[in-house]
Amino acid sequence: MVPTLTTSTSSQGHKEEAEVHRVLLGKKQILVTEDEPLLPQLERAGVLVEYQCREGYCSSCMIKLLWGKVSYPVEPLAWVHSGYLLTCCAIVKSDIEIALLG
Amino acid sequence: MSYSTFNRKKFDSLQQPMFFGENVNVARYDQQKYPIFEKLIEKQLSFFWRPEEVDLSNDRKDFVKLEEHEQHIFLSNLKYQTLLDSVQGRSPNVALLPIVSLPELETWIETWSFSETIHSRSYTHIIRNIVNDPTKVFDDIIVNDEIAKRAVSVSKYYDDLIELVSLYNTMGLGVHHVPEHGDITVSMKALKKALYLTVASVNVLEAIRFYVSFACSFAFAERTLMEGNAKIIKLIARDEALHLNGTQHMLNLMTSGRDDPEMAVIAQECKQDVIDIFVEAAQQEKEWAQYLFKDGSMIGLNAQILGQYVEYITNVRMQTVGLEPYFSTKNNPIPWINAWLVSDNVQVAPQEAEISSYLVGQIDNDLDGADFDDFDL
Ligand code: FES
Ligand SMILES: [Fe+2]
Ligand SMILES: [Fe+2]
Repeated sequence: MVPTLTTSTSSQGHKEEAEVHRVLLGKKQILVTEDEPLLPQLERAGVLVEYQCREGYCSSCMIKLLWGKVSYPVEPLAWVHSGYLLTCCAIVKSDIEIALLG
Repeated sequence: MSYSTFNRKKFDSLQQPMFFGENVNVARYDQQKYPIFEKLIEKQLSFFWRPEEVDLSNDRKDFVKLEEHEQHIFLSNLKYQTLLDSVQGRSPNVALLPIVSLPELETWIETWSFSETIHSRSYTHIIRNIVNDPTKVFDDIIVNDEIAKRAVSVSKYYDDLIELVSLYNTMGLGVHHVPEHGDITVSMKALKKALYLTVASVNVLEAIRFYVSFACSFAFAERTLMEGNAKIIKLIARDEALHLNGTQHMLNLMTSGRDDPEMAVIAQECKQDVIDIFVEAAQQEKEWAQYLFKDGSMIGLNAQILGQYVEYITNVRMQTVGLEPYFSTKNNPIPWINAWLVSDNVQVAPQEAEISSYLVGQIDNDLDGADFDDFDL
C-alpha cells in the first residue's frame, strides 16, 4: 500500500507530493484524495452513486472507468470487469474519468 | 456415468472445471482452483445470525394497527419471499451438488443453501409473531395465483437441469424416452446449457426478485413500523448480496471460457435467453408491485415508483454480468433504500436473544405500549 499524504493547504508548495487527483464525470470535475475510497468522496461532492455493501462484495457500486488508475488496498470479493471500478473500495491513483452506469 | 459420493479415482482437482468434471472426493481446501469460493464461505459464516435473536413484539402491535391494504402488502411479500427461499434452501444442493467438481465450490453451494434455510425460518418467526393463525398465511402460498406464476419461473430451469442430470447419471448420454415427457436428448451440450441457464436464472432471482419486497419492508420501517421485520430483512439482504456474488462469479467464469471453453460458446449462444430471463423477472416484479398496491398504496411508495426501481436495479445487475442495460431508467427513484440495504450497523444486540421468545397468543392487544418500555433496547 502506498503511504498516503495529507493534503492540507500547506502542502500546496509541493505539488508532486500532494495526492489530489481529478475525477472527471461528464461535465463535472471532482477533486479526490487517496485517503479514502472514491465512494464517500463522490457522495460529499453530491454525486448519487449506487451502493449496497460498501465493502466490496455486492458489485452494486460498479461504475465505468474510462481512463486512469485506481487500486484496491484489499482485493474485493466482487468480480471487477476490466473498464469498470468499484467505488466503495477503489482508491484513485491518478486523474481519472468515470461514467455512471446507465 | 453415475454419481459417486466418494470418487475413488485419483485426479488433479485443480484441472477440473467447476461442473461436469470428476465428482469431488476429498473435501480439501489446501489447494483451490478458485479461492473466491472459500472467501465467500468465510464471509457467509461471519454473517451467521439466528431469527430468534430479533425481537418482534413491537411488530405485532404495529401489524394490528396497519390498514387492511397495508397488511395485504406486508403479508403478500412475506409469502413471496417464503416461496423464493423454499426454492433456494434446497435447489442449489439438489441441482448442483451432483455435478460440481471443485471442493471449494461444493462447500460454497452447501453454505449458500444453508443460509437460505435461515431465511425460511425467519419468515416463520415473523409470521407466528404477528398473526394469530400462521397456518392461513402459509397455506395460501400454494394456492395464490400471483405467487404460483412466479413459482413456475423460479423453478423451471432448476427442474430441467435436475431431470437431465438424473437421466445422465442413470442412463448416460443419448436419447431417452421418459413417460409423459417424451424423448429427451442428453448430450454434454444440453447438460451444460441447462446448467448455464439455471445459474443465470438463480442470479436473476437473487438479483431482482427480492427487491420489491425489501423496499416495502424498509418503507414501513421509515415510518418506524415493523422495525423488527426490517432488521431481519436487512440481514437477509446482506446474505443475498453475497449469494449474488457467487452466481456472478460462476457466470463470469463460464462466459470467459477460462473454466471450460465449451461453456464460453454456450454462454454466447444463450445471451439472448439470459437477457429474456432478466426482462421476464423485471416484468413479473412490476406486476407484483401492482398486485401489492391493488387496494391502495403506502406512504412513499406506489406501483409506479417500484416499477422504476425494478427497472433501475435490473440495469445495474445486468451490467455486473457483462450485459447491456435493458431499460431506459437511469436513476434510482428510491435512493433512501441504500441506507437500509447497507451492511454495516446490522447488529443483533446480544441482550435481545434473552427477551425474545415466541410471544404468540401471549400478547394482549390491549396492553399499553408502556408495559413494554423496559424491553426497548
Ligand atoms: S457497495 Fe458493494 S461492492 Fe461496492
Ligand atoms: Fe434467501
Ligand atoms: Fe439467496
